[in-house]
Amino acid sequence: MFGWTGKLLHVDLTRGTCERREIPTEILHAYLGGRGLGVRLMRDYFRLGPFEPDLPLIFAVGPLCGTSSPTAARLSCVSRSPLTGTIYDCSAGGRFAWRLKAAGLDALFITGKSPAPVFLSIDPAGDHLHPAQSLWGKGVKETVAALGQYGSVTTIGPAGENGVLFANIMMGEGNSIGRGGLGAVMGAKGLKAITAQGDGVTGVADKERFDAARGDVMRLFRASPVIFGELGIAEYGTPALVDLMAQRRMAPTENFRSTFFADSGNYSGPAIRKECGARKEGCYGCPIQCKKASAAGEPLPEYETVNHFGALNGISDLHAIVKANSLCNELGLDTISAAATLSAFGEARGRFPDAAEVATLLADIAYRHDQGELLSLGSRRMAEVLGKPELSMSVKSLELPAYDPRGAYGMALAYVTSNRGGCHLRAYPISHEILRKPVPTDRFSFSGKARIIKIAEDVNAAVDSLVACKFAFFGATLEEYGELLSAVTGVEYGPESLKGIGERIYLTERFYNCGNGFDRSHDTLPRRFFEEAGSAGEGIDVHPIDRARFDEELQKYYRIRGLDEDGRFGDRNLLDELP
Amino acid sequence: MRDQISKYTGKLLADRSACADGIAFAAQDDALITAGAPELAALAGATLSRLNSLALVAARPTLPFADFLVARAGQGEECIVPQDTETRTFLHDIPFLRRKDLSGDAAPVLARLLGNRKGVIVEGVGIVAVGAITVEQAFINYSSVFHSTFVKYLQDVLVEGFRLPGEEEAFDSFRREWLRPLSASGLDFVEALSLEKEAILAEIERVGRYTVERGLVDSFFGNISAVAGERIYISQTAASLDELKGCIDPVPADNSSTTGITASSELLAHRKIYEQTGARVILHGHPKFSVVMSMLCDKKKDCAIKDCWKDCPHVRDLGGTPVVAGEIGAGGLAKRVPPVIGASGSAIVYGHGVFTLGRAGFGETFRAMVDVENFCREEYFRQLDITKA
Ligand SMILES: [Zn+2]
Ligand SMILES: [Zn+2]
Repeated sequence: MFGWTGKLLHVDLTRGTCERREIPTEILHAYLGGRGLGVRLMRDYFRLGPFEPDLPLIFAVGPLCGTSSPTAARLSCVSRSPLTGTIYDCSAGGRFAWRLKAAGLDALFITGKSPAPVFLSIDPAGDHLHPAQSLWGKGVKETVAALGQYGSVTTIGPAGENGVLFANIMMGEGNSIGRGGLGAVMGAKGLKAITAQGDGVTGVADKERFDAARGDVMRLFRASPVIFGELGIAEYGTPALVDLMAQRRMAPTENFRSTFFADSGNYSGPAIRKECGARKEGCYGCPIQCKKASAAGEPLPEYETVNHFGALNGISDLHAIVKANSLCNELGLDTISAAATLSAFGEARGRFPDAAEVATLLADIAYRHDQGELLSLGSRRMAEVLGKPELSMSVKSLELPAYDPRGAYGMALAYVTSNRGGCHLRAYPISHEILRKPVPTDRFSFSGKARIIKIAEDVNAAVDSLVACKFAFFGATLEEYGELLSAVTGVEYGPESLKGIGERIYLTERFYNCGNGFDRSHDTLPRRFFEEAGSAGEGIDVHPIDRARFDEELQKYYRIRGLDEDGRFGDRNLLDELP
Repeated sequence: MRDQISKYTGKLLADRSACADGIAFAAQDDALITAGAPELAALAGATLSRLNSLALVAARPTLPFADFLVARAGQGEECIVPQDTETRTFLHDIPFLRRKDLSGDAAPVLARLLGNRKGVIVEGVGIVAVGAITVEQAFINYSSVFHSTFVKYLQDVLVEGFRLPGEEEAFDSFRREWLRPLSASGLDFVEALSLEKEAILAEIERVGRYTVERGLVDSFFGNISAVAGERIYISQTAASLDELKGCIDPVPADNSSTTGITASSELLAHRKIYEQTGARVILHGHPKFSVVMSMLCDKKKDCAIKDCWKDCPHVRDLGGTPVVAGEIGAGGLAKRVPPVIGASGSAIVYGHGVFTLGRAGFGETFRAMVDVENFCREEYFRQLDITKA
C-alpha cells in the first residue's frame, strides 16, 4: 500500500496494553486520515462523556505525511471536548506527526485510564508504557527535555493534569493541539506524554506525477501575496493580520465591546519583528514557515494570541503579551480561550486585568488555585456562575477568536455552524471576505454565504484529513492537493471527490453532536453581536448583525445540508448510509 | 445572485468573449437558478446541480478557436495544454468533450470533468466554467479558458498552419472583423500625476477602466500602481481592472504596516521597478499577442533549458521591448523585470504579459502597452504571412 501504513496502535491504559492493529483499507480510502479517520473511529464512542475512561483519544496522521508534500507533516487529534461537549478535532503540525508515521502508524487510539501517571513510547521496535510519576506536575519544556531520548515528544502541562477545560496538548517543537481542552482528556487518562520515533518511509505510487503536482503547489504558494508576498505570513507570521483587522475595524477589543484598538500597532507583524528580532520557524517540512521565534528561540505569539492578550484585555505592551503566550505554552493552556476568559472576567467585574495580573491568573488557572478554579472552566461556565451569562463571547462554549463577526457575515454564520464551537478555521471565510482568496466576497452581505460556508466546511474537512495546513489554501486548491494525493496513494482523487469526503466527515460530526443533544438553539451568537455596533472608522460602519437575516441564512444552510428546521437529522440514521 | 448573473453576462458581452445568444449561467444557494439561452441554461443547471460549487457559466465563444483546438487534437487526447502562465499556474490543462462523444445527457460527464478542473471545452457547444464560491469566479474561469485557447490557437497556427476545412476562412474573418485597432487616442490622462491621494486613486480607477474598455487586457488579469513619496498605491489581488474603486491598497514603502497583505501578487515587482527606475506609475496586463509572441523563441530546439517560464536567463527582444522569464509573485519576475524595464519603459514576461512604466503619468504607460501589443500583433501576422507564402 502507498501513502498509508494501514496500522493503528491501540493502547488500553486501564490494562496497560499496546497492540498494533490493521485499519480496513476501505475506511482509509473513504476517510483518508487525520480528522476524517479520527471521526470515523469515534463512531462507537461518541456518546461517552469527555472524562469517561473508555472515551478514546485519537491521534491520526494522513496519507501525505512522510512525503515531501508541502505542509503535510501534520496530525489531527480527535476526541470529545470537555469544554464544548461536541466532537472535537484539532490539526497540529510538527515533527511528532512525521515521527508517528515513520514509526509505521496511521493512527494512535488511546482508551482507558491508567491507575498511575504514565508516558507512552512508540517505536517500531516496541511500543511501551512507562511510569511517569516523576514527570507529573512538570512544565512542558522540562518534560520535553526529559523525554528527548525517546524521540519526538508531545505532552500535557499542569493545566492538562489538573483538568482545565481549555488545556492543550503541546508538541515538543512549540506546536499545540489547542482550543477544546483535549489536554484535560489526556490528563484524565493519567497519560503525561507520548514519544515517537522511527525511520519508516512513506511510499509514493507515482514519483513523476508527485513531483509535477508538488511543483504546481509551490508555484501557487509563490503567486499568493498572503503566503509568500512581502507582507505575507511567511515574512511576518499570522500577526501580519493585525494591521489589516485594525484597518477593517474588526479586531475584537475589550471583550468585543468594540472592534478597534488604538495601540494594536504595538504588536503588529512589523512591530514584533522589530522588537523581538523575529525569525522564521515553523512546522517540520513546511515551506511557508509562518511561525516566528525570538532571537533567543522563544516561540512568538500568533495573531489570535496577540489580539486576545492585547486588544481584548486592553493591554498594549508587546512584551507582556509575549510573556503571556510563553506562560500558556509552558503550562499547556489554550491562549485564545485563556485570554477570552480573562477578558469576560474583566468585563464582569468592571476591570480588565493588567499585564502583571494576567501572569498571576494564568498560573492560578493551570493549578486551579483561588480565582483560577472558576476561570479554569472557561468563559461560558464562569459567566454563568457570576450571573452574567451574556458576557461569555463564545459559541457552544468555545471562546471566539480574533475576527469580529459584525465585520464579516460569512464568519458570523461559520462560527455557529462549526461542529466544534466558535472556531474560525472550519470554513475560514476570512480567506475570501478579507484576504480576497480565491476571489473576494462582500463581507457585509449574507448573499450566497450559506452555500459558500457549506462548501468551505467540506473542503476544510478534507484538508484536515490529508492532513494539510489551511494556510496552504491561500494559494493552492484541492485540484493540486488531489493530484498530490493521487500520486502518493495511487488511488484517484479530485476536488469534487475530496469535497464529497469532507461532506461525509462534516455530517458525521454533526450527527454525533445531535446525538448528544445539540440543535438549532446552540447555533447562535452571543446577544451582543445582534444588539451593539462595532467601532466605526476610515469610512467603515460596523453595524449590529440583522438577526432576521442571520436566521434566514442559517435556515438556508440547514436546507443545503439536508437538515431539518431544527438543524437535526429527523428520522435519518446517517451512520447506516456511510462506510 | 440574479444581479451577479446579469452583471457578468454584461461583461461577457462587453469584452466580446461570448455570443449574445449563447450565454447561460446557473447558480445555487439553497435553490438552483438558471438564466440565459434556454438550452445552455438547462445544461448549466443540470451540471451545477451535480457539483459542490456555487456557480457555473456555459457560453459559446465569439471565436471558434476552442473548437478548432479540439478538432486538431490527436485521437487519444482528452485535454489541451496551453503554454501561457494562466494555464500553467491556475488551470493546469483544459479537458474537452468531443461532439461525437456527446450522446444523450452531457451533464453527468461534464460534471465529472468539472469536478477536477475549472473549465472545460464542449465541442460545438462552448466553454463551460465553474465558480466554486461566486458567480464572478465562474466568469473569471471562463475568461481564463477563452484567453488560454486564444493564445494556444494562435501559437499552433503559426507553427503548424491550418488543417481543417473552413479554418483559414474563419481565421481571416477573425483577423479582419473580430480584431479591432488598438489605440490610446481620444482618452484623457493626467499627464503629470499629483502626489495627492484622491487624485491618484481616481486616475488609477480611470486607467484601469480604459485598459478593459479598449480591449487591451481581460479585466481580471493585471495590476496597476502609482508611487507618491513614501507610499505605493496598488490594485488589490483578485481585483478587476475595470472595477478598482475601493480596491486600491496604500502600501508604505518601508513595510511598516502590513495592511497591504491584500495587494496584488506583483507588489514586489512594482516596488523593485520603482526603486530601480525612478518611475511614477506602472501598468501590467496580459495582452494576448504579446503573450503569444513572448513564447516564440528561435533557440528552443538547441536550448538546454526546458522550464522557459522560470529558468530562461536570456533577455530577448520584441521591437525594442525586452522579453524575460520569471514566474508570478515570489516566482522570479520581480527579479528579472526591474533591471531591463528602465531603458525602454516596457518589458514582456515570457508567456505572461507586459509591464510598462510612466515617468509622470499613466498616458505614457497606456500608450506604451498599446505600442507593444500592436507591434506583437503586426509581427505575428507578418510571420504568419511568411509561413503561408
Ligand atoms: Zn500578470
Ligand atoms: Zn530559452
